[in-house]
Amino acid sequence: MSAVDSAYVELAADRGLGQLPGFDPGQLTPLLVEAKGAGLQPALRGALGEGVDGVVGQLAYQRNRKFRFQVALTEVPAATAFAPRVFCIRRGRSTRDDEFYGFETRHSKLWTESTALNERYEVATSPFQDPMWLRQLFSPSLVDWLGTKPPADFSFELAYGALLGSVESDDPGAAGLAALCEATAHVATRIREECEE
Amino acid sequence: MQLNRVGVGLIAFFGLAGAAFAIVPILAGVPGEVAGILASVGVIWVLVAAGLLWYARRQQRKAAHQDWIFRQGLRGTATVLHADSHAEVNEMPLMSLRLDLAVPGHGTREVKRREIMPVFAASRMQQGLVLPVYVNPEDADDFVLVW
Repeated sequence: MSAVDSAYVELAADRGLGQLPGFDPGQLTPLLVEAKGAGLQPALRGALGEGVDGVVGQLAYQRNRKFRFQVALTEVPAATAFAPRVFCIRRGRSTRDDEFYGFETRHSKLWTESTALNERYEVATSPFQDPMWLRQLFSPSLVDWLGTKPPADFSFELAYGALLGSVESDDPGAAGLAALCEATAHVATRIREECEE
Repeated sequence: MQLNRVGVGLIAFFGLAGAAFAIVPILAGVPGEVAGILASVGVIWVLVAAGLLWYARRQQRKAAHQDWIFRQGLRGTATVLHADSHAEVNEMPLMSLRLDLAVPGHGTREVKRREIMPVFAASRMQQGLVLPVYVNPEDADDFVLVW
């Protein structure tokens, strides 16, 4: 059994998560599109944090080289009406979702109002995202939390109610996976609260 | 909207290289027939650069207009009634959407819209999905769909 498999077995035992034989989440977010249907393997289903259920698993795919992410997926359906997409990606992570081809209108824009947030992350939304809602979502407490509490390589993508938290570690261990679950659950709870307000 | 390095590079390449093809052979005293062929290629390339520049400016105006609607428009909702795609542009589906547009003061009506979207967005365009829209206060057919 590999170190990653062992970490998932330990995580399942620690947090009472159920093993999945494999899980195909579909092309819900840019990172999952990049993986081209690679699916999560290993994968566990259950409570990511207090009141937040979802799936945690390893996403591995080949594109020029082998990429490995540990991801946690949950849903916040109410978010679609307020913010169809919000991507908060660790600075320096390589993604292709904002490419454009010389003459086209960009499909997203960067959210740069929070200096503290932008030191660690690039936040991208729809070009026509309501800025007030984003300001309320990225409250000082959430910005402070994002800057100090999640795993160092944590990023999240919110797309049409699907929230995918991810870290780039090949082998984060059970503690790292637990931190990923907690961080994703924290973000999901914050988004849900903002939608309810 | 902004030109990226690819766009600037394409315009510069076709413009400068086209001008060079058109002018340098004549200045260098290249024989007439060869100079004519090179000049023809050069003129075509300069026209390509001009076309690209025109397209870039058109996209820029379109983006500025959409920004204006976003800032000044009426906010409403669009419910997806039907969505399909039969073409791709730059690996992104060209979506044909039928929408139920609801805007305060303008009632509800059915509209059609074509949008190029990334795969993750296109895959979520299903019946019943509700998206925000901003509508030009002076022209209800002119709207920005937030996806």
